[in-house]
Amino acid sequence: MTCRGARNRLSAYRDGDLRPAEAGRVAAHIRSCAACGRRWATLRAAVGALADLPRLEGSDGIAARVLDRLELERRGPGLALVFRRWGAGRPLILPSLVPAALILMVVLAGALALDRVADPGPLPEVAWRGGGETWEGKSAPSGSEGNPLFSSAGVTAPRARGTAFPDRLLTEMAEGTLFVETVVARDGTVSAVTLLYGDSRQARPFLDALRRERFEPGRLRGRPVAVSVYRLISRMDVLASIT
Amino acid sequence: MSNSMATSAELRVASADMALLSSEALPREGAPDGRLLELCRSGDAHAFARLVALHEGMVFNLAARLLGDPEEARDASQEVFLQVFRTLARFEGRSSLRTWIFRIVVNQCRNRQRWWRRRRKDRCCPIEDLTPAQEARLPAGAQGESPYESARRGEEARQVQAALLRLSFDHRAILLLREVQGLSCEQVAATLRVPEGTVKSRLARAREALRRELLPTLGGVSP
Repeated sequence: MTCRGARNRLSAYRDGDLRPAEAGRVAAHIRSCAACGRRWATLRAAVGALADLPRLEGSDGIAARVLDRLELERRGPGLALVFRRWGAGRPLILPSLVPAALILMVVLAGALALDRVADPGPLPEVAWRGGGETWEGKSAPSGSEGNPLFSSAGVTAPRARGTAFPDRLLTEMAEGTLFVETVVARDGTVSAVTLLYGDSRQARPFLDALRRERFEPGRLRGRPVAVSVYRLISRMDVLASIT
Repeated sequence: MSNSMATSAELRVASADMALLSSEALPREGAPDGRLLELCRSGDAHAFARLVALHEGMVFNLAARLLGDPEEARDASQEVFLQVFRTLARFEGRSSLRTWIFRIVVNQCRNRQRWWRRRRKDRCCPIEDLTPAQEARLPAGAQGESPYESARRGEEARQVQAALLRLSFDHRAILLLREVQGLSCEQVAATLRVPEGTVKSRLARAREALRRELLPTLGGVSP
């Protein structure tokens, strides 16, 4: 018998399905051929190891669960849902909805709480610089006239209604530079004008004109806020070159 | 008999009181299936509980070895018995009850495995990692063995189970039915609904595949 022929018959040989003469030839071959002998031994050992697998025990309660399910199917969930043994069987969908609903409520409550923090509520009434540096002994709220904001991505700049001052002031102005801060209040009026740089006498008519100016107020998230606006007013006479 | 026969019958199952199983009127283990089946078909919940109790061990073991996951095996076992209950009226008795239940187990596990693959679910809690209380009873003669021997036996079982799970489902099923459950080739053929010749050739290929998988651990085997 060839090695191939013997190997093809090993399974049947193990089951005793071969005729006696054929089984004898296979037995003789695996005795005489080391490779086939080893193959036979390893096949027997592998199948033996499988047969020796320990019996598992973990089926406790299957009968109870099956009968519970059948009872549930016969009567419908009803009170069985409430009184079924804790942890028995598969959880039904309804009990799992309860924690899901609780989690959803917590998330929504958190979102609402965060929204309230983001919305500081109405700002105090318009206060004018001098009396409004502090508010009831505390720093003035951000965005109020005592603590104006600066124009930024989140804060829209106030828009002036009309021109700030007549052309006459500019033409009559002597050579020089003025740097002025204007606080535009939440109602569009100017709550404070401060000369930051320049001659105060030269600046006076400009400051008076700026105090009378009216604006569309600056806004933060749609709400009017007080915003500081800075202006540079400069005059320089350029003489023609002498040829 | 219609499928609704059993479900419409009065099921006296207020709870799964396993004390019912000790009822003297019910057939004992090893008794012919006929009487038990007759009672089950008539909607006797006690008889059905007895049927489940008689077969749950073998169903769970086959499912656990096929799926490699004890939790999945418990769920599969539950589904198997529900299917047994629902289709009992159609069981004609051409094969034994045990063979019929094995067929349902194999089909149930095959479907579950397909479901896993569709969902790329490759989670697998190794059976051999069960706690000793849940783990196997060791074969007779192994009582009082040394801790070393016990650990070696556990490791061997782990390797065999791992090798088994690397085989195709068909090879795994045929090996477990033949070598572990001890069915004859004829019974395996009846269980899998394939010709006996197919069982023999498939068994030969499955044994060879298992041998190859276990070859690294069989180094010490001598002819």
